[in-house]
Amino acid sequence: MRGFLATRSAVLDWLRALGRAGEVYFPQPFGDNSYRFDKIRRHSRLAFEDFDAGSKDKPFRASTCVQPPGKLLSPDNEQIFIFHKNAQGDYQLTPTLDDRRRILAGVRPCDLKAIHLMDRVNGDDIPDAHYLSRRRNTTIIAHDCLQPCDRHCFCEATGSLRWREGADIFLTPQPSARLLLEALTENGEALLADAGFPPCDDVDACKARAEQRRARPFGRHFDAALAQVIQTVGDNGDDSVWDKHVERCFGCGTCNLVCPTCYCFDLRDDFDIHNPDSGRRSRHWDGCMLEDFAEVAGGHNFRPQLAARQRHRIKRKLAWLPERFGDGSFCVGCGRCGHQCTVGIDIFDIANDLLASGKEDA
Amino acid sequence: MNSPAVDPHVLTPVMARVIQTHAMTARERFFRLRLPRPLKHRPGQFVMASIPGIGEAPISISCGPRDDTQLELLVRSVGSLTRVMHRLRAGDQLGIRGPFGSGFDLAEFEGRDVILVAGGLGLAPLRSLIEPILAEPDRFGRVTLISGCRTPAEELYREQMLAWQGGHAQVIRLVNDTAHLPWDGEVGLVTAPITELEMDIPNTLAVLCGPPVMYKFVIMELAARGLPNAQIFLDLERRMRCGIGKCGHCQINHVTCCRQGPVFRFSELESLPEALT
Repeated sequence: MRGFLATRSAVLDWLRALGRAGEVYFPQPFGDNSYRFDKIRRHSRLAFEDFDAGSKDKPFRASTCVQPPGKLLSPDNEQIFIFHKNAQGDYQLTPTLDDRRRILAGVRPCDLKAIHLMDRVNGDDIPDAHYLSRRRNTTIIAHDCLQPCDRHCFCEATGSLRWREGADIFLTPQPSARLLLEALTENGEALLADAGFPPCDDVDACKARAEQRRARPFGRHFDAALAQVIQTVGDNGDDSVWDKHVERCFGCGTCNLVCPTCYCFDLRDDFDIHNPDSGRRSRHWDGCMLEDFAEVAGGHNFRPQLAARQRHRIKRKLAWLPERFGDGSFCVGCGRCGHQCTVGIDIFDIANDLLASGKEDA
Repeated sequence: MNSPAVDPHVLTPVMARVIQTHAMTARERFFRLRLPRPLKHRPGQFVMASIPGIGEAPISISCGPRDDTQLELLVRSVGSLTRVMHRLRAGDQLGIRGPFGSGFDLAEFEGRDVILVAGGLGLAPLRSLIEPILAEPDRFGRVTLISGCRTPAEELYREQMLAWQGGHAQVIRLVNDTAHLPWDGEVGLVTAPITELEMDIPNTLAVLCGPPVMYKFVIMELAARGLPNAQIFLDLERRMRCGIGKCGHCQINHVTCCRQGPVFRFSELESLPEALT
């Protein structure tokens, strides 16, 4: 498919124009030093990262958004169905599928890989119609990274740095404040055809140039190759590593909340306080680190200890789900859990400790 | 991603009608429901039952497979939803999603002796297996049901168990404690009769359903008799929220209980941490 070359500011103007016509999300500063995916509005402050040598703008948007963009595809408090009682007093239930068109722009490769993994999870076995409806109506404009966004990043180590699948349009930073725009789907092609950007006559050369400018090594790396990490985490039976890393854990579930591949949920009902014969069922984010997550009716808890819950979370990301889907690591190396954890527990350190303990055993 | 098999009603129940209900004990209530269309379930499967505005919970199906639109559930009042369910009367509606889970494959039981061990409410899901077996006794070997509960007042399906006993099954009914109530069964734990059962080991399958604490001791007794782990089936309890393998609540390590279970062979669980405790 064709490529185009445009300045960053021209691309931002284009996104603003799309944002006036519809729902477009882009990372925006929030508070002093954090970012969130938010709807582009009239006064939104938008910027692409500047990877040009010597640029003073570099620190802008130098970190991931606290919440990954994929969460917009399975939002908290998502309505599943509405109900009311008819004239005969019988319940009428109507499933609600969100089919509004939206664009997620400025999605990093780690978050793009995470969205791809959520596509796999929600499309697998009995598909989740609510997620798939939202996903089908979402256009993704992803953005390559030439430098790690912060010191927590380990996306190259988890195999998500060069991820492109799932994007409709992929942006690659070029020298002189420009971006290469490539359409990866027909949807992306149609969108770019209307944008009026000058075509790029050598897409491959532009991509090679970006690859040359990419930081090497990129972010943190495990003490072994990813395949070895997945093998070790899957095998590990050594409790001391889990015990060590939960010593200071509160079990608050922040790591679940910010993880782009955490998708566990609970369903809740509410009736309309003004008319108890009508109401809704909604889906709410839940987390395996929370104490009552594995509790059953009558109060028995199958994972009452924090260490067991930590082990469950890490093994889901780095062993069980990778094994089930064959699509690599379910930890995409975004670094959010370690970054946001109140007490600094980092899945990266846990993986390295497991590697070390595996070596001792051998 | 654009598969035509995507069902927009995947998390939305159909409304069934209560056609018969009565209290079976102080805590358990029996419901016979009529669905808009046949459920076509297998023994050992479960449904997600709900009351709009109140909530939803997994409930084991307690009747054998059937071609009509009827369904039976036995519901223990343990929380706000089940408390409200206990107030439902004939003519009221109950939301149903499913059936979910793997359940039992009846063909596997053909020609085999079957020992069923039920603890308390565990009898309800096992009934979905006992009914089809006893409906065609010639297809199966000897059937033994060991059913235990705490006191005579907590006994479930009493009349039906007496009928099964008079038919093709050996039924051993136990209580831990007679609690000064009249009792025509035995007193003791469900493990006790296992030591004395006549067993044709290679041709016997055991099926267990009850509280987690029961499994450990029953399995020890069966192992002592030499029954291989692959011939022991367990019906596990987890609090499923979705039934479609997504919500994560019923996950036991890499196993999704609502899809791969809740019925497992013990040989699949013996090296799976957190499965039984």
